[in-house]
Amino acid sequence: MTTPVLRRVVRRETHSPRSVAFALVVLLGIVLALYVAVELILALASQPSLLVRPMSALQWLAGLPSNAPVAAAVAGGLIAAALGLWLVVLAVSPGRLSKHEVDAGGRVAVIDNGVLASALAQRVSDETGIARDRVTVGVAHRSVDVTVRPGAGIPIDETEVTALAEAEIASLKLARPVRTRVRVERHDEEEKAA
Amino acid sequence: MNDTNRGLNRTVLLIVGLVLLVGGGAAATAAAVPAVGDVWTSSGKAALDALRAAGDATRIGDTALSWAVIGATAVAIVVAVILFASLTTLVSRRSRTVLRSSGSQTPLGRVTVTEGFAADAVKNSLARQDGVLSASVTAHTVRDEPVLHVSVTARQGADPRSVVDHVDRVMDGLAAVTGADTAAYISVHGGLRSRLASDAPRVS
Repeated sequence: MTTPVLRRVVRRETHSPRSVAFALVVLLGIVLALYVAVELILALASQPSLLVRPMSALQWLAGLPSNAPVAAAVAGGLIAAALGLWLVVLAVSPGRLSKHEVDAGGRVAVIDNGVLASALAQRVSDETGIARDRVTVGVAHRSVDVTVRPGAGIPIDETEVTALAEAEIASLKLARPVRTRVRVERHDEEEKAA
Repeated sequence: MNDTNRGLNRTVLLIVGLVLLVGGGAAATAAAVPAVGDVWTSSGKAALDALRAAGDATRIGDTALSWAVIGATAVAIVVAVILFASLTTLVSRRSRTVLRSSGSQTPLGRVTVTEGFAADAVKNSLARQDGVLSASVTAHTVRDEPVLHVSVTARQGADPRSVVDHVDRVMDGLAAVTGADTAAYISVHGGLRSRLASDAPRVS
């Protein structure tokens, strides 16, 4: 029963609403609009301006190529363009949050990647006997990285860890398949010390 | 879950981003390339002249006032008000939803289940689960349909699958009791609380 309603809920929960960027942009817009209004009112009342008269500001902007040093104008323009590009990217990119949807029968469930990673690390540690703090697991949207650092002289079979991790991931029933990568790290200093 | 209008968020970001991108790029090019700079200056001058002409044409009597400037002021204020109004869409407008089974189906009457009852039932049932640190249940209305959101903070190292399965069974039980299978959404979180709490017991 993955109804359209639940699909919508999952989509909203796994993607960023971009609220922070939106709020910042809108707040700046409000400040700018109010400032312009104040300057216009001061100009209407023939009072001295706060910073600059709107007309002189526009005049300065129109004469920008000759008014400002070339380097400063280019840099300012590029900074504005970069900011704009960043906003466009924010608007267009999906903004996926680090969560995974899992199959939950008629309901829908979403699990934080951190929870998945810590469960996976715990399981690998339990099954292989390697201390928990020597197992590092990273869960991303499409891949899972398992790094095992067994102590010096402790044998460990990489394929065994891979099979273990894959079985555990399969049992989680993630809605989107992930690639599993297992690395066994051995540090030379540890080996020499042993 | 809230009612934030995400389409609006992204549209505003896109428009502002494009304006900055085009304006900034044009300004940088105008400063760097003299030929483009000439176009920038001449078109800017033309725009300014047009503005001045508009100001002069709408001048009120002999005063320094002009309708164009008054209009521009009004537009600036209206823009500020509209922007402020759009900020309020960010504020969560979660309505407390009452879950009810349809009255027509039961000859004895209508069963109404409040959010608090569902929350207590699910919370108490989850409290006994080892992997669960805390749980909360809220009801939302999504497209005029009630949706229960069960939010679970899992202990570090807890098996999220068993947590989800347990919540699923609890929800089945709630559906059997209330006679209404409400759509439910389960989220499992980690974070600081689960890191500070003791780990999930390894021996059951």
